[in-house]
Parts: sequence; C-alpha cells; structure tokens
Amino acid sequence: MSASVLLMQDIAKTFPGVVALDAASLSVRPGEIHGLVGENGAGKSTIIKVLAGVYHADDGTVSIQDTPVSPVTSEVIHAAGVRFIHQELHLVPHFTVTESVFMGQEITTRLGLSRRLMCARAETFFRDVLDVEINGDILIRDLGTAERKLVQIARALIDDQARLVVFDEPTAPLASGEIEKLFRAIRRLKDRGIAIIYVSHYLSEITDICDRVTVFRNGRDVAVLDKVDENCANELIKAMVGREIDALYPKSGHTRGALVLQAKGLGDTGYFSDISLSAHSGEIVGIAGLIGSGREELIDTLYGLRPARTGEVTLHGKPVRFSSPADAVARGMVLVPRDRRRDGLVLDMSVSENINLASLEEVSCYGIELRNRARERASRQIRELDIRPDNPAIISRQLSGGNQQKTVLARWLATRAAIFLLDEPTVGVDVGAKVEIYQLIENLARNGAAILLSSSDPGELIGMCDRVLVMMRGRITHETSAVGLSIDQLVAMTTGASTQNSAEGHADAR
Amino acid sequence: MNQTLKSIIARFGFLIIIVAFVIFFSAVNPVFLGGDNLMNIVEGSAILLIVALGMTLIVATGGIDLSVGIALDFGAAFAIVAMKEYGFGWYGAALIGISGGAIVGLLNAALIVGLKVSPFLATLGTFFIGSSVQRIFTNGGGPISHRRMPQEFRDLAVGDVFGIPTEVVIAAVLVLAYFIVMERSIIGRRVHALGMQRSAARVAGLKVNKYLILCFVAASMTAAVGGLIASANIRMFTPLSGFSYLLDAIAAVFIGAALHPRGRPNIPGTVIAVLFLGVIANGLNLMGLNFNTKDALSGIILVSALALVVAQQKLRH
Ligand SMILES: Nc1ncnc2c1ncn2[C@@H]1O[C@H](COP(=O)(O)OP(=O)(O)OP(=O)(O)O)[C@@H](O)[C@H]1O
Ligand SMILES: [Mg+2]
Repeated sequence: MSASVLLMQDIAKTFPGVVALDAASLSVRPGEIHGLVGENGAGKSTIIKVLAGVYHADDGTVSIQDTPVSPVTSEVIHAAGVRFIHQELHLVPHFTVTESVFMGQEITTRLGLSRRLMCARAETFFRDVLDVEINGDILIRDLGTAERKLVQIARALIDDQARLVVFDEPTAPLASGEIEKLFRAIRRLKDRGIAIIYVSHYLSEITDICDRVTVFRNGRDVAVLDKVDENCANELIKAMVGREIDALYPKSGHTRGALVLQAKGLGDTGYFSDISLSAHSGEIVGIAGLIGSGREELIDTLYGLRPARTGEVTLHGKPVRFSSPADAVARGMVLVPRDRRRDGLVLDMSVSENINLASLEEVSCYGIELRNRARERASRQIRELDIRPDNPAIISRQLSGGNQQKTVLARWLATRAAIFLLDEPTVGVDVGAKVEIYQLIENLARNGAAILLSSSDPGELIGMCDRVLVMMRGRITHETSAVGLSIDQLVAMTTGASTQNSAEGHADAR
Repeated sequence: MNQTLKSIIARFGFLIIIVAFVIFFSAVNPVFLGGDNLMNIVEGSAILLIVALGMTLIVATGGIDLSVGIALDFGAAFAIVAMKEYGFGWYGAALIGISGGAIVGLLNAALIVGLKVSPFLATLGTFFIGSSVQRIFTNGGGPISHRRMPQEFRDLAVGDVFGIPTEVVIAAVLVLAYFIVMERSIIGRRVHALGMQRSAARVAGLKVNKYLILCFVAASMTAAVGGLIASANIRMFTPLSGFSYLLDAIAAVFIGAALHPRGRPNIPGTVIAVLFLGVIANGLNLMGLNFNTKDALSGIILVSALALVVAQQKLRH
C-alpha cells in the first residue's frame, strides 16, 4: 500500500488581488479521516477546488497514490476515485432527488433510462449508507437544507468507486441528529478503506472524527497534528488564528428592558402551532430544535416570509401583520437568514452593494446614489467586522463562507434595527470570527436590541442566550433559563428525551 | 492566447466588431459615413431604442416582456382614436396614448405579481389578448388613418428641435431618464438586486412586488411613446405593427448586457446594441442586397454577435 492516497505540494493560487493559496501542502494517508481546518479565507475550499480541477493552480504538484497528476482535470480526478461534497449546494431545484443523484451518471438499460431502477438505487443508498428515508421522486426544492446535503453526498458516492471523499463543511446546514448520522456514514466509508478529507469549523467534530489534522493559515499549511484527541482543540485554535482564545462567548449579564416582540398562539398548519413567545429589549432569546421542528418556519413567519394562519404578533405592544419582509424591516425587525447564499446575499453584487442594500436611502440624495458615501459606509462596516479581503468592490460570490456571513451581518448592524432574528448566524464561521460575531451580538443586546437566536449549536445557545425555547414537532416544549443549563440537558430537550418543564423559565417569561 | 489579448477581447470584443462593420460598410459604399446617413441610422433606430429601454428594465428584473409590441400598438391606437373620434389635441392624445400603454403594463403586473404567473407566460398571454382586442376593434386588422392630425402631433415624428429630429430628442431624453434611474439611482440598485437574486432581495427588505409593478408599467408606457411616434409618422394606426420591434429589442438588451463587465442589462449597452442593429440594417441596405438576403445576413450577424457575447462572458471568468 502506498504511503499517501493524496499528496498536494506547494500549491499556489492567486485570484486577482487575492493570494488564496501560497505554497500550501496537504497529505492524506490511505483509510484515514483527515481534518482540514483554518480561518475563513485561509484557502481550504480553494485547495479543494484545485484538487477538483475547478481552479488551476499557479504552482505546485498533485499526486494520487504516488502517481503525479498533471494537468489536474475533473475527469482524471474523478477516474482516480476522488469525490467531492462541496461547501455550496449545486443542485437544480426542479429536479427530483433521483435525477439529482444520477445526473451525469444515469443508469441505462436497453430500454433507455431506467428511472425505476435509479430511484430504487438512490432510496436504498439513503437507507443503507446514510440511514435516512428520502423519497426519490421528491423535488429538490421541496427538501430542507439537510436533506439536500445528503442528496449531494449520495450523488458523489452512488457509483461505489470512491477512494477519497472530500467533505467541505458538510455539517454546516445540519442539526445534531443529522450530524450523528453523517458521522456514522463517514465512519462506515472509512471502514471500507476509503480515505476522507474533512473540512470544518467545528473543532469538536474535528477532534471527534479525525485521525490527523492539517491547519491552514493565510494560504499555507502551518501545522499538522498526527494524533488527535479532545484535548487538542486549543492547540488547533492557536495554530489557526495565531493566538489563544480563552472565552468563546462574551460574559453576559443583560439588563432586561421593555417587552418588544410578542407572539401569541402563532400557527401554520403542518409546521408549527400554538407558539407563544416574547423578547425584551436587551435580551437574547434562543430557539433550539431539530430540523423539522418548525424552528425555521417560525422564524420565516415572524419575518413575514410566510403567512401565519393563526395567532398574532405584537411589536412594542402594537399588533402587526407582516405580509412581506419589507414590512418587518420598516418596523425595525431584521433577519440574518440561515441560507446566506440564497437569502442573505445577492451573490453577484459587490460587498458594498450588499451592505448598503437595506439602507440605500442613507447613501442617496433625491434618490440618486452617492457612490463615495456608499463605499465609505461599506468600508467602515468591513473594517468593523474585519471582513476579508477588505475591498468593498469585490463580488460577494468570491468571498469565503465566513466572510459572506459577516457581510450579511454588516448590512443589518448598520441599520437601526431593534429586533434581530438570527437564524444560524455562525454557520461556517471560523472560531476567531465566531468570537467577533458573538461579541457583536452581545453589543447589540447591550445597546437594547431584542434578539431571537435560532441555532442548532447547543453550546452557542447556552453561551449566548438568557432564555432558551425548545421546539419539537412544531411546538414549544420547553422554556428555560440558559443559566446552568448543560449541553446534554439541552440536547435531551430538543430530541424529546427529557420532558420536565422548567418552571423557573416560564415564570420569568411573563 | 495570451492574457492581455484575452482581456482586450473580453472588454472590447463587441466594440471592435462594430468598428469593423462601420469600416467595412463605408469601404463598400462611401455614402455610409455621410452625416445625412448617420442621422438616418439614428432616426431610424429611435423607436426601437425607446422600446428597448423598457425591455432593459424588464430584463434587469429577471423577467422578459413579450407584450411591448402590444403596448406600442395601444399607444398608437389610443392616441389616434382620441384625436380622430374625440377631437383631443396633441397633448391630450399623447397622454391618452401613454395611458393606453399603461393598461398593458398593469395587466402584466396583475398576472405576474397577483397571480404569480412567470413573466414569460404572463406577457405572452397579454400579447395574445392584446392582439385579438386590436383585431376585434379594427374588424380584422384594418388600419385607422387620421390624415388631418394636429401638426404638433405629426411633429413628434417629422419635426425637429434645433435641427435635431424630434423623435431622436425624445429618445435621447428617455435614454437619459432611464440611465439615471437604472444606473445611478437607488431604485435601479434595487431593481438589479431583485433581478439577480429575488429571494435575497426580499430578505433584505426590498418591496419586490412594488418594483415589479413599477417596472412593467414603466416599460409599457415607454413602448407606448414609441407607438405615438410611429403613428405620427404614418398618420395612422396599423394594428399589430408593434410586434416587429419585439425580437430586436430583446436582442439589443442581451447584446448590451454582454458589453457590461458583469453581464448586467444596462442602458449604455442597450443604446450601443440598438445602434449596432441600425448600422447593420442600414449598411446592408446601402449594399443593395435584396430583402431576403438581407434578412438572412442580419440573422447571421445577430447569432454571431450573441455567440460572441457568450464567448466574452466565458473569457471573463
Ligand atoms: N473565485 C474567486 N475569486 C476571487 N477570490 C476568491 C475566489 N475564491 C476564493 N477567493 C478568495 O480566496 C481566499 C480563500 O478562500 P477560500 O474559499 O479557499 O477560504 P476557506 O478557507 O474555504 O474559508 P471558509 O472557511 O470561509 O469557507 C479568500 O480570501 C477568498 O476571498
Ligand atoms: Mg470554504
């Protein structure tokens, strides 16, 4: 057996104005799960796209099973058994699951395409390898983010030829239950002798699943850990950000102000029902729940993205009925959406355009945009949030995932919104940036904003929130103070393993 | 191919082609470059340009308007009937004509925003409805002529302002207005945003529906202005004549978008593309080609131009 399935050496890649990779190396041994970590913009996705043949490296060599590959094209790489689960979901919304899984690798019989056979194969794959039930005839657009991720995985692995599978932040859209499933699937792949590259910002995942880890910083590999256990998280952080981070979450202690947002008996058939909640000025209220718990739909409804069938919402004591997000924004309620590439940013617009999109009046005079003022305003936000590269004219699509998220945040932080709905605000954000974002959220609360934080990261909810609402099957099943709450307790509540109510939480909610 | 050559082609490929055509046509026929002929080209392009402005706006919203021809017809019909049957002066007739166009836009907007029909199907529907309404009211498509229309109205097509043909002046004013709105104003910024990524624009709090309604009505009213000029020119309303502008307008918008560094529909691009189409039509005319050959040739040139568009966009990435 060869010493490495994959050896990438001194890879360099420059985009106009940005050095994405600058002599980065990566070596993966057969049958191992190899972690790849680094700050946002460190070049993780770029090196993976170089391997995929999406980008052509300016310099460096790639060998697979000790055979040099040159040039690196997607065909050669595919033939060598390398498969990719990219960070972005490239699925056609109006294709069925089966079509998506088999696109470009259809099974044909003498009678042409065999839809039945493919559908059965896809469904079997979901059941046996990923341990989920997904109907092969469902349209992609009717699937949630988590299921789409699984479709993407099935698409890469269905032909059974994989020897190295690359996962670029696969768990970002997943909830803890699904993550477990994914890990089980990944371990099963490993048992079959398939090597895995695993990119993630969740260090607990890295230490949990990986055998070795490579750390990237500023386009270079700065460290390789040959032995990974729970205790190396700090070592990883230090290698990633170049400094130690002592506290992920800012020390909180909020003074709760006036009641700002209140919902009573909110319901939408099939998604959630009888939701009552409240948020006060200066308070961070968490919403926990698995995918499908109705958490996502609830947030969308509050924001006017979908109509509420029953119930009512009051803002500052006045009943409101939002028929579109524009109404919500006009009343000072804003949303940082979970899918930033679809709903957060207009990807083909510049960072500056995206930051100013919601407050164009402020950078205009009689409706005419004042470009300098717009650019200055954007630059200020870019500096404030440390968005990299710090160029307001760069197209948002070209930003790394974490920097895209910061751009969405930058847009709303620049407005005078009083209520922030944050839906998975730190998905795909590196530890360093996470700390910054948490601090920003904390500052918002301190300045009197009411914050609703919906998250699948229990640590984040406990660390940031004053109160946590737990949703299950469309209902709020628990309402509890976050003080003294343990991750295990919270996970138990979201999965329904625990049923006792926290009376104390209820008491101070009124 | 080396990098600089690539980037030159990516930036200026289309302009190079236009210049090449101008040189070619003037080599074949020296009349082509004469001042009179150039003004002819501009004047002959005015109505198409006006229609294409509205189309640019619609394509920027991510849609398409197949009913611009109907709006143009309605503009002409309403104005002619207002003058002929109801004795309106030129001013009133123009306003009524433009309102006629607005009806078309409102119908589109109602279908698209109200019933959530895709712009393609909605405007196709409007196209069919509008066509048959015209046939019904003209007993199968006969023209409504109005030889003794007020001179002021007639002047929209044949008059001049300080020596510049009125229709060119009107087109120029509209170009300026569209340019300011689409390229310089915050309305334009929002329209581009919702056209590029509707869901993100919505979440950013933009009033997507309001802007869609606005754009479809504005585009139809603009096309109706084209209709006023067309009817003033021939002193009659010819049913279903607006259709001839549709495909050229769409082509112009997409060629124009290719001229933009980020591939967005834009006013300067549309203007250049319309003039390009004018140059081709005029140049082929001067070459004395027969009607059928001319059509085939301009078709080939259009397809090549669009192929270039695609190649250009690839080169940029
Ligand atoms: N197509 C592109 N054009 C220009 N710059 C790009 C492009 N793709 C990536 N970059 C830049 O290259 C750098 C590395 O980006 P990359 O996506 O590899 O980061 P990453 O490590 O995957 O970050 P994240 O954790 O946020 O996903 C960033 O500064 C990014 O802005
Ligand atoms: Mg990445």
